[in-house]
Amino acid sequence: MSLVNLAHVCSHLQNASKARLGLTSIPVSKMHVNLMLGLQREGFISSVTLGGTTPPTPFLLQDQIDPEEHSDMAQKLAAEPWAAYPSAESPSGNLLGGREISYNVKVPQNPARRRLWLGLKYWNNEPVLKNMKLVSKPTRRLWLTSEDLGRITRTREAAYVKGLTHPGECMFLTTDRGILEARECVERKLGGMALCRVY
Amino acid sequence: MSVCRPVRCLFASASLSKPSASAAPKRSFHASAPRAARKRRPHYPSIKAEDLKLLNQAAETQYPKYDTSETALLEKRYTPAQIAAIKAAETAIDSRDLLTQSSRRTDPWLLPYEDDMSEVDPVTDHAEKLDPSDIPGSHDFQDVNEEERDEAITFIANENLAKMFPDGLPEGELSVETQRQLEEAMGTAVTQAVLDPRASFRVKNRHAAAALSDPRHSIVMPDIPRIDNRMVRQTRRLSSEEAEDPRQKRLLQYLNWDKTKLRSIKVKTLVVHGVTNQTRMGKIRSMYYLTIAGNQAGLLGVGEGKSVEPDEGRKQSVMAAIRNMRPIPRYENRTTFGDLECKVGATKVQLFARPPGFGLRVQHLIFEIARAAGLQDLAARTPRSRNKMNVIKATWEALCNQKLPDEIARARGKKLVDVRKVYYGGSVH
Repeated sequence: MSLVNLAHVCSHLQNASKARLGLTSIPVSKMHVNLMLGLQREGFISSVTLGGTTPPTPFLLQDQIDPEEHSDMAQKLAAEPWAAYPSAESPSGNLLGGREISYNVKVPQNPARRRLWLGLKYWNNEPVLKNMKLVSKPTRRLWLTSEDLGRITRTREAAYVKGLTHPGECMFLTTDRGILEARECVERKLGGMALCRVY
Repeated sequence: MSVCRPVRCLFASASLSKPSASAAPKRSFHASAPRAARKRRPHYPSIKAEDLKLLNQAAETQYPKYDTSETALLEKRYTPAQIAAIKAAETAIDSRDLLTQSSRRTDPWLLPYEDDMSEVDPVTDHAEKLDPSDIPGSHDFQDVNEEERDEAITFIANENLAKMFPDGLPEGELSVETQRQLEEAMGTAVTQAVLDPRASFRVKNRHAAAALSDPRHSIVMPDIPRIDNRMVRQTRRLSSEEAEDPRQKRLLQYLNWDKTKLRSIKVKTLVVHGVTNQTRMGKIRSMYYLTIAGNQAGLLGVGEGKSVEPDEGRKQSVMAAIRNMRPIPRYENRTTFGDLECKVGATKVQLFARPPGFGLRVQHLIFEIARAAGLQDLAARTPRSRNKMNVIKATWEALCNQKLPDEIARARGKKLVDVRKVYYGGSVH
């Protein structure tokens, strides 16, 4: 488990955000996948898809509807606004007519040709993920206890790790229960090896 | 052998050749006249004996010594020790000095008590005050009715007029000047009569009636004295005298503000230096100004100005700073939202949010900026270049471009909660 690849991923995500890319890919490893899912859970990235060397078909929540259908839908919604939400009768389909389309993504047989495709997020003309840095380094791993993490999440320094002082800053750790966010670790009283900090 | 000796011999022979009665040397090595030759003036004017006699007489008549009847009166009032002190004071001050150096006040604003006013003594230098217990008899009074009031006003006005014209009112054909004076005096007399308490209240007790118009019984504090000296007169400016600055007028229009609001803005020029423009004709020197402006409640602006005229450049920068004011988000109205960092040129400024009561532990430029913006708890580092202009610009940029928690929450689609605010029930500020 080398952190060199993770360092490359961190830099790549920062660069991709700066370049305002919508979709980018990183090499696949179990740690990368779990970390990216953690990032998605925290809302830093929009989608995580396993795919090949070419980007997967863009993920669409809804297919487009005709302009004629639009006016019908507007009338219906004005009468029954609750129809916008999924109900017991139609759990997937709702009045808005959107049907979630899931394309089958071709994943190459050869693991070396597999890539993890990430959807990046932007808000108010600013990338959501602006800064991503390693805490542990390939030559110096840092393990943090839950007490340390308690201090760190409360913006204090502990075990040579600076506190999470930026607004909305997150730190990810690899623990024996998987890759978790620092606050989650504090909640579950878990310690682990610090991977990276993101804001 | 000394070289000086022949020279001395030379001088000695010169002085020997012409012996003089005075001890002062004839020959001098200086251009200025010898001290003895300068005309001596006494440090005090010479007073002739006759004048002195006159002065003595005047002093004695003006400030006579206590005679026996007066000392007898003093003995009734004062203890022997106090009398000894009074006598010592009498002998210490020469009555001739009193006559030549002191003067008695006769102006209408003369104080009702004796003081030389050379210094203010907080204990004794209060105007005399009397309270209701000093009025003998009943303190009752009634409000007058309309008729009584008119009657009283007429009476008091007549009384006042009689004081102003002791020889009686001028009668017959009057000149324009006298007519005007008379009208003015009548107006004054009626105004004074209306303001007189006797026109508003009916009092049986004579002492209580007197107390109504006695300033010693007034509960109203006397006005703070208007200080009037040369300095004040030069610096005093009326609003009408103030020149209307067209630039300021345009700024007010732009901001849609009035002058009072503009006055509440704190402005400080932090950087001043000269700059030169090299042209074919030569160097053109001008002054550069960088000014910050803030309302100490979350508005902050930075403005630059440059002009050949120093005053002009300064004004330019002030106006630009006020025009450039932008809102600064403040956490609990005291510090920033988390740590901030901004880089301008080679200057990097790092700002750190700090707990309440921490203070502004920052360098002087950032201190001024934080004070103008109304931040109270802040720490900062400028790890790289400390160019003054860039430090100010970077700090301003950092403060303006803060990421707010609700913005982050919207961007990530997560719920973010200010734990401090929740814990203290929103009563932190």
